[in-house]
Amino acid sequence: MQAVFSVPKSMKENFKYTFCPGCDHGIAIRLVAELIDELNLRENTICSTCVGCSVFLYDFLNIDCVEAPHGRACASATGVKRANPDKFVFTYQGDGDFASIGFAESMHTAIRGENISAICINNTTFGMTGGQLGPTTLMGQVTTTSPFGRNKEYYGYPIKIAEQVALCDGTAFSARVALDTIPHINQAKLALKKAFEVQLNGLGFGFVEILSSCPTNWHMTPHDAHEWVKNEMIPVFPLGVFKDLMEK
Amino acid sequence: MEKNFILAGFGGQGVLLAGTILANAFMLAGKCVTWYPCYGAEMRGGTVNCEVVVSDAEVSSVHKQDTDFALVLNQQSFDKFVQRVKSGGTIIANATLVALAKPRDDIKYVFAKMGDIANAIGSSKVTNMVSLGVLSEACNIVSKEYLAKAVEIVLGEKKKQFLSLNLKALEAGCGALV
Amino acid sequence: MDDKKVLIKGNYAIAQASINAGCQCYFGYPITPQTEIGEYLSAEMPKLGRGYVSAESELAAINMVVGAASTGAKVMTSSSSCAVALMQETLSYACSDELPVVLVNVMRAGPGLGYVYPAQGDYNQAVYGGGNGDYKIIVLAPSTVQECIDYTYRAFYLARKYRNPVILLADGLLGQMMEPASFGKNPYPEVDVSSWALSGAKGRDGKAIYSCARDEKAHIQKIKDLFKKFEVITENETSYEEFETDDAEIILTAFGSMTRNIKASIKVLREKGIKAGGFRPITLSPFPAKRIYELASQGKNFAVVEMNMGQMWKDVKFAVEGQSYVSLINRPCGEWLSVEEIVSSVENILRTKEGEYASCI
Repeated sequence: MQAVFSVPKSMKENFKYTFCPGCDHGIAIRLVAELIDELNLRENTICSTCVGCSVFLYDFLNIDCVEAPHGRACASATGVKRANPDKFVFTYQGDGDFASIGFAESMHTAIRGENISAICINNTTFGMTGGQLGPTTLMGQVTTTSPFGRNKEYYGYPIKIAEQVALCDGTAFSARVALDTIPHINQAKLALKKAFEVQLNGLGFGFVEILSSCPTNWHMTPHDAHEWVKNEMIPVFPLGVFKDLMEK
Repeated sequence: MEKNFILAGFGGQGVLLAGTILANAFMLAGKCVTWYPCYGAEMRGGTVNCEVVVSDAEVSSVHKQDTDFALVLNQQSFDKFVQRVKSGGTIIANATLVALAKPRDDIKYVFAKMGDIANAIGSSKVTNMVSLGVLSEACNIVSKEYLAKAVEIVLGEKKKQFLSLNLKALEAGCGALV
Repeated sequence: MDDKKVLIKGNYAIAQASINAGCQCYFGYPITPQTEIGEYLSAEMPKLGRGYVSAESELAAINMVVGAASTGAKVMTSSSSCAVALMQETLSYACSDELPVVLVNVMRAGPGLGYVYPAQGDYNQAVYGGGNGDYKIIVLAPSTVQECIDYTYRAFYLARKYRNPVILLADGLLGQMMEPASFGKNPYPEVDVSSWALSGAKGRDGKAIYSCARDEKAHIQKIKDLFKKFEVITENETSYEEFETDDAEIILTAFGSMTRNIKASIKVLREKGIKAGGFRPITLSPFPAKRIYELASQGKNFAVVEMNMGQMWKDVKFAVEGQSYVSLINRPCGEWLSVEEIVSSVENILRTKEGEYASCI
C-alpha cells in the first residue's frame, strides 16, 4: 500500500488541533511545514512567533521558536538573523500583530531589507480577543468594536498590507494569496516558497499576506466564510504578486 | 589637594580639546582627574565649556558651580564664568576677544592676547593651545612637558601633521606672561 | 587590550568593554546622554564582522536584543530614562523567557521627556521594573569610568550565568565624563548556553522560548522558580562597598556616581570630629539589605544621598526595619549634591536629633 497523504515531518507528532473549526490557520501552517520539509530547512530554522491566534504555531511545528511581544516579531527576527546570518528565520503573524501594533517594526524590517521571511494572516479582525475591529476590517463590516459597521468617520480605512510592503526598497518579494479554494491554496504555497527562497538567496525581505477565514468571529459556517473571502475580501484585497526580485 | 578648571569659549575654538589635553597631562603626572563637558541642548547655543578636576585622591565632585580656575576664550564666556570663580581663584582670558575689565576684586586676572599670538604663529585655530600654555604658566599646577606629551597623545597618528604647529603654540603661550 | 590607563569617556568605555566581553550584536536608537555608545559601536562592530542595527525605535531595539539573546548570542542595547521606559514590556518578557539581555541605562532627568542633564531617577524603574508581573532584574551601578568597564564585563557574565536580564545603571555624568581607566582583560569565564539556546533543531526536537505557561499550576511554578533563582543570585552576587563604618555613628549611603561625593564628604566630616561612614550598594538588585540590617542593629543611623526624590531611601528604610534613623539628603536632578551641601546637611541632621529627617536641597 502506498501512502499518498501524510503529516509533514516538520510537524509535531500527536499535536492537538486547537484552532476553531473552519479556520484557515491550519492550512497555512501545513503549507509552511510542507515547504520546510521540501526545502530541507527544519534543522536550520528559527521562527519568531507573535501574539494572537498565530502564536499557536509552536504547538504544531517541531522547530525552534521564540515568542515576541505583540507586534515585535519582525524586530525579534531581525535580532535572531543578525546574530545568526546562516539560519533560516521567519515570522508568522496576524494582521493585528503585523500591521497594527507592529506596523513600524514590520515596515522598517522591510525597509532595511532584512533577510528574513514574514507571513501575515489577514482575517479582517482580532480573532483571539473575540472579533474586534482591526487594521484590515472592511468598510461596513460589523465587529464587536464597530457595531454599526466600519465607517470612515470613526475608523478610517482598511490597510492594504502586501502593496505597502512591496513599496519598500528592501522588499524582495511581496504577494497576497487566499486559502478559499484549492487553486488558491496551490498559489499560496508557490508564493510562500518564493518568500522563503528570496531569503535563502540573500535577496532581502520576503512577505506573504494570506487572506484567511475566521468563521467563529464572522459568525458564519466554514463554507459561508470562504464564500465571504471570495465575495467580500478579494475584491478589496486583490490577489497577486506585487514585487518579485526572483523574476528579475 | 583638589582643583577645578572651567574651560569655555564659542564652538570651534577647541575648548573641549584643550580640556582633554589638560586632563591627559594630569593623568600623565599621575594625578586623579576627571573631564566633564556641557552637552545636549546646551552645546547648540554657541558657547561650549568643559570642567576638569584634578586631585591627589579620587575626584569628589565632577561637576561643580564654582571653580578655582576659569580659562575663557570669548567675551560671553568671561561674563558667565567670572561669577563662578571662587574667591581667591583665577580667571585667564583671551584678551584678543575679551575686554580688559575686572568686575570683581577678590579674584586674580590674567589677560593674554592668545588669538593674536596664535595668528602670529600661523593659525587662529591654535588659540586653544596658546591658552593652555598661558594656563600652565599662570596656575603653576601642570608642567608644559606633560602638556606637550598630552598634545601628542590626543592628536595621535591621524593628526600627526599638526603636532609641530600645536607644540609651537603651546610654547608661545607659556612665554606670553614673561 | 592591556592595563595601560587611557583617558576615556564613560560611554566609550562601556562600548569598548562590551566588545571586549564578546558582544556579538548591538541594537540601539539615539538619545542623549548615551548616544556615543551607538556611534562607537557603529564604527567598530562592522570591522569585527559583528552585528549592528540602528533600530527604528527603542521598542524595536530591545526586541531585536531578545531575538538575538534567544539564540544565546551576547547582545546589548543602550538607552536613557524615558526611552528605557519604552522597553519595559519587553524586559518583563525577557525575565520570564530567562534571556541574557544586557541593557545600559545612562540616566537623564525625568519624568516624561525630562531633560538631558544627569539624574538618578530610574532607580525604581530598574530595580522594581516598569513592566508587568513579578520579575527581577540584576542591576549594577558603576561610580567611575573604570567601573563602567568592570561592570560591563560583569553584566555580560551574570546575564548568561543566570539567564537573566542585567541593567547597567549609569548616569549622564558617568556617560559624558572622561577619566583615566584601563580595560585589562575580561576576567569572566565563558558560559555554556547550548542547553537552552535556539540553534535550529538539528538532530533534536524543536524548542520554544516563551513567557507564558499553558496552565495555572505550571505558571505558578514558573514564577516560583524565577524567584528561587533570584534567591541564588542574591546569595552569590550581592555586592557593596563600605567606608569607615566600624566606628561610624551615621552612614552616608549612595549609589552610582554619587558614591564619589559621599566618600569625600566622609573625609570632611571626620576632620570636623563627626564619626561618619559610608555604604554603597554595587548591586542595587539584589539589594544588600542584610548588611544594612546588621549595621543598623549596631545602632548606626543612615543618611541616604541621591539625585531623586528618595527612591533608594525607602529600600534602606525597609532594610533597617526601624532599628535606627534613616534620613534623606537629595535633589531631584541637575547638579550633583556637592561635598559642602552634603556635609552641612549631615550637620543639620545631627543637630535635629528628633527622628526621621528628610532634606531636599
